[in-house]
Order: sequence, then structure tokens, then C-alpha cells
Amino acid sequence: MPILEITDLTKRYGDTLAVDGVSFSIDEGETYGLLGPNGAGKTTTISMIVGVLDRDGGEVRLDGRLHSVTNAETKALIGYVPQDLALYQDLTARENLRFFGRLYGLAGAEGTRKVGEVLEAVGLSDRANEQVAKFSGGMMRRLNIAIGLLNKPRLLILDEPTAGVDPQSRNAILNTVQQLAGEGVAVLYTTHYMEEAERLCDRVGIVDLGRMKAEGTRRELVSLVGENDRVLLKGDGDMKQAAAVLSGMPDIKQVTVDGADAELIVTDARGTLPGVFETLTRAGVHVRSVEVREPDLEAVFLHLTGKALRD
Amino acid sequence: MKVTAIGLLNLRRVFRDRANIFFVIITPFVMIFVMGLFFGGNQQLRLGVTGASGPLAERLATAFDSGDVRVERVGDADALRADVERGRLHSGVIIPATYDSDVQSGKQSEVRLITRPNDWGAVDLGSWVRTAVQQEAALLKAARFAAQERGDSFDDALRTVATATVPGIDVQVSAGGRAAVPSGLSQFAVSAPPLLLLYTFLTAMTTAIGLVQARTSGVLRRMYASPTPARSLVAGEAAGRLIISLVQGLLIMLGSALLFGVDWGDPLGAAAILLLFSLIGGGAALLLGSMRSEGGALSLGVVLGLGLGALGGTMVPLETFSGTLRTIAMFTPHAWGYEGFAELVRHGAGILDILPQLGVLAAFAAVLFTLGVWRLRRVLVAGN
Ligand SMILES: Nc1ncnc2c1ncn2[C@@H]1O[C@H](COP(=O)(O)OP(=O)(O)OP(=O)(O)O)[C@@H](O)[C@H]1O
Ligand SMILES: [Mg+2]
Repeated sequence: MPILEITDLTKRYGDTLAVDGVSFSIDEGETYGLLGPNGAGKTTTISMIVGVLDRDGGEVRLDGRLHSVTNAETKALIGYVPQDLALYQDLTARENLRFFGRLYGLAGAEGTRKVGEVLEAVGLSDRANEQVAKFSGGMMRRLNIAIGLLNKPRLLILDEPTAGVDPQSRNAILNTVQQLAGEGVAVLYTTHYMEEAERLCDRVGIVDLGRMKAEGTRRELVSLVGENDRVLLKGDGDMKQAAAVLSGMPDIKQVTVDGADAELIVTDARGTLPGVFETLTRAGVHVRSVEVREPDLEAVFLHLTGKALRD
Repeated sequence: MKVTAIGLLNLRRVFRDRANIFFVIITPFVMIFVMGLFFGGNQQLRLGVTGASGPLAERLATAFDSGDVRVERVGDADALRADVERGRLHSGVIIPATYDSDVQSGKQSEVRLITRPNDWGAVDLGSWVRTAVQQEAALLKAARFAAQERGDSFDDALRTVATATVPGIDVQVSAGGRAAVPSGLSQFAVSAPPLLLLYTFLTAMTTAIGLVQARTSGVLRRMYASPTPARSLVAGEAAGRLIISLVQGLLIMLGSALLFGVDWGDPLGAAAILLLFSLIGGGAALLLGSMRSEGGALSLGVVLGLGLGALGGTMVPLETFSGTLRTIAMFTPHAWGYEGFAELVRHGAGILDILPQLGVLAAFAAVLFTLGVWRLRRVLVAGN
């Protein structure tokens, strides 16, 4: 049974249709990624799901129950990590956690225990009594996530939780999310880093301009662009002439040359590459580097929207 | 419980900041002390008199003399004006040259009062001069009446009515006005109440910044994402601001009583004014806190805090305001708080005597609080 089910969600800001009839569902224990460029409507969608923004149309169900901005019961099921660093900068990490804990009904010894637990989970135990304003960006991000874990949510919603953090903190954050997912927490994760979506998510929804463009597992999405691999070559020699020879080969669908660089679209990179090397050597081209790219979400996004995920 | 948690958090955030402790607690006392010295309630007031020198004019001049007021004769009107402007005299009275003859012939005579603006002594003197003139006028009227009735000369009649009671006329004229600041009142009792109003409101305005921050940082939204109803969030934010105002107000009351011996009068009345005025500040802070920019809220808050404070008589005494300005002042809650406190502190009124002031303050509080809550709720739910 899905923990989250949204149907035909719509939000309009003046003339902007920020979210335009978006529907999807997330199963218990599943990690779902919303992948889209800036302004795609990810945050707006999430705000309506969390219940901090009135929707113009559509329906949100949590655990089968109708959810809205006024439904405290369904709100209690969600852990929310907003895109902004929604923290009291003048308070310590622990004070922030204690306060938000109280809003989820956590007080006394139980509150203390829970706060200790989430501090541990995000690796901030030893900095708990420091003022947030003195934290690094990565630490603030981790505290931002910790608050979302306080109520032991059944659905954890993270809106670009790695925005602007160093690789080390990013890795720690992704590990935390993976671990929670392993424990059976359903996760809704938005990002415009396709590597994150590929690493974390069971299923991905691709959004652009407020609409859901495609949805499915990584494999399903990739099949949309076909099974072709991309081979990127760099070589010394007459690449133009080599290209002419290459395009005659049976498995090679397309060849484009730009100076010393050549890009081949092939049906099966592994099977084709030895023949490619042979042909190039014979044409007097010395290959300096080869890169094989299996189709990825980036390519899917390009295919669906005609633009790059990030510019 | 969540309301309390939010309220206490606000309190903690304000008092964590050393600068705020200074601003909320120390500054008001310094100001009460300084303003108290400035108003200098207990010194003898100097009243200059110039103009006619006839016996009746002399009588009037002597009438101004009292324990608290020393009358000084000044050469002419120009010298008098100069002395008042320079502050050597608190006020001056010009008695017209034709005073004696006008009075005797029953004509209208005009005595002119020159005062200094923004001067407590001048306010008191003005009120004292009016009282003395009224008293003298009553006596003169009685004398004229007696002279006409009995055919005596005006001087004889005046002598008679001044010493005796004429049948049918009560010449024991009681003072019509009352001193704005009764003599013997500590100067700090004059300076403390207006400053309490000025500071509690200003503090409430500055706490609005915290609310704007909570909104722009997304903290407010995050709070709303928790299972906490909008009304509890708004109530908590409001309670925080209300408590800060109340705490500051109580500190000023208790502190000024202990340090400067200020008697705030009827505790019930004083508490009622403080509570209503804090509600007004809290409501205004909620409204201000729903603004989008911190800088905007801060500037508007300071402008409102100081502007309404000045207009409401908390910087320059309300009693020194001209008629129009005084009318405008009554559109500020400060002026009503001022009048309420003045009744309690200066004239020993009880809570029942200041019901009109409390009523107006309650109306201000109700309107501002309702608007503030409505606006903040809208900001929460509609996202703008
Ligand atoms: N409060 C608002 N008022 C007006 N327009 C808004 C508001 N919030 C968002 N929008 C608009 O709605 C659209 C979707 O914005 P949204 O923040 O949901 O995108 P996003 O996918 O989260 O982008 P990002 O990756 O930059 O966070 C954008 O065109 C944005 O300008
Ligand atoms: Mg966003």
C-alpha cells in the first residue's frame, strides 16, 4: 500500500503554473526521487505534500488518509527537511532540536533521548552545544536533516538536502538517507544532481515546468532513450577520415567529430570497441583516451526536455 | 504546551542577546533618571510679571505668589520674553497698562501668559496662573456686583468681598484647575510612566524582527509542517512578544519604585494599563513581523516606536501640546496610556477612574491583535 499518493496536484502563482497536474505515489519503504532543473516546481510540490502550502487543486493522501494544511494527524507521519536552512541561528544545535521536538510532542526524558539519537545519526554529537551561526555550511545542512528525523517519520521528505555542501558532507548525508531507507522509511528526495537520484532512488520522476515528464525505475527511464551507449574518443591523426570509415561499421549508428574529439553512438560498446581501435589504427589515428557512457538520467532528461539538467 | 514552548523560545532568544538586555532593562532606567533630572519637579518655579503697576495689578501679581512660585518683577515685555526664552524664568505674565481702569469700569481685560514649550515648570505655572486669575476674576466680579448693589466705591466693595462673605455670593472660590504635576511629587514619578510606554512599545516593535527572520529563514514554515495548528503558532509568537513587553514593563515599575521611590498608584489600574498596552505592542509586532524584509520591518518599527511615542507625549509632555497636536495625540495608544498613568500616579485615581482610558486602550489592543493574528495566519497558510 502506498504511504503517499498524490493526484493531479496543482498550484498557480499569478500567471505561473508552478505545479501542473502532478500525480505519483510512493510505497512503504521506497525511495522516490523528483529530478528537475531550477524552477521546475519541486519545492512547490513538496510544500503542498508537507502541508505548509494550500493547493489549488488535486489531492494528497498519506497512509490512505486525506491530508491537508490543517490535518495534524497526517502531518505527524512526515519528517520534513526544507530546502532552506530553517534553523534558529542564534540557538545551539541542541536547543533547535529540543524546540522542534516539542512541536512534535517530544518532551522530557524522551525528548532528550531522541535529540541525542538524531545528533548521533548526523554526526553532530560533539558540536551539539555550539551556536548554529558558528557552524559550517555542511554542518548546518546536517542539523537541518536531523530536525526532520526527530519524529521518527514514516515518510521522510528532503528538498535538495545537499545543496551547497562539500563532497564529504554530501557523502555523509547520502549515507544517512540510505541507512534510513534501509530501515524501512519511505523517502521523497528532490535534487538536480542526477548522480544522487541514481545512487539513492528506487524510482525517479522527471519534472520540468511544473509537469511530470516521465516516471519509473532508472532502467525504465533509460529505455526511453533506447539502449545505445555513447563512446567519447580523443585521438591524434586525421579524425575526419577515420570518422568516414567508422560510420560504415555495422554497430555504429552515428559519428560526430569535433577537432580531436569524436563521439560515437553505438548499440553495444563492449562488442564494438575492439573493431573501432583496429579501424582507427589502420587509418593512422593514435587513440589517446576512450570513455564509454552508458545511458544515464542526464541523457533521459536531455531526451525528454531538450535541455541539460543543470547549466 | 506548544504555545508555551514557542513563547518561551522567543523570550530566551531576546534575553540571550546582551545588547537586548541592555536595551530592554538598563536603558529605561538611565532614561528615567536623566529625564527625571531634566523635568526637575521639586524646584521653585520662577514667574516673571511686567506691565501695569496700579493697585489692582499689584493685587494680581501678589496673587501669583505662593510657596512653590516665586514672582519676579521684570522691566518690560521684551525683557520678560527674553528671560523666558533663555530659561531664566519658567513663564511670564504681562498685565496690560489699562488693567486697573478696565477692571473698575467693568471692561474685559486680557492678561498674557508667555511660556516655554517642552518645559514641565511652564506647564505647572500655566495651570497655576490660570487658577489664580480665575480666583481673582471671581473676586473682582463680586466686588463690581457689590459696588452696584450697595452704591459703594469699587475699592471699598473689593475690600469688603476680599475679607467677608457677601450674602448671595460665595466668594470662597475653589481652585478651578489643578496642577499638572502636584507639588511634592517626585520628578521620577513624572518621568517614569511615559518612558515605560515608550520603551515597552519600542521593544515590542524590535521583537518583530525575530518574526521576520523566522519567516524568511523558513523556520515558521517548518513549525507549520509539524502537527501544530496555525492558531497555536500564532498564539505562541504573540505570547512571546506579550511576555517580553510585560516583563520589561514590570521591571520598570518595580525598579523605579525601588530605586527612585516612584509610587505607581493603584496596582490594579497600573497592571491593567500595562497589560493592555503590552497587548497593543504585541499585536503591532505581529503585524510588522509579517513583513517580507527585515530591514523594512526594523526601520518601520523604529519609526513607529519613536514616532507614536513622541506624538503620544512620552518624550515631550502631553500637557505642553497645543490644541491640534493634542487632538492628534489622542489617536496614539501612548497618549491614552499616558493619561491613565497620570491619573494613577499624580492624582491618586483608582482603576474605576481610568475606565475611559482603559476602554480606549482595550479597543486599540483588540483591533491590532486581531489584525496581527489574521495577517500572520495568512502568511502561514497562503505562503505570501
Ligand atoms: N511564493 C512564490 N510566489 C511566486 N512564484 C513562486 C513562488 N514560489 C515559487 N514560485 C515560482 O514557481 C515555480 C516553481 O518554483 P519551485 O521553487 O517550486 O521550483 P524548484 O523546482 O524547487 O526549483 P529549485 O531547484 O530552484 O529549488 C518557479 O517559476 C518559481 O518562480
Ligand atoms: Mg526548490
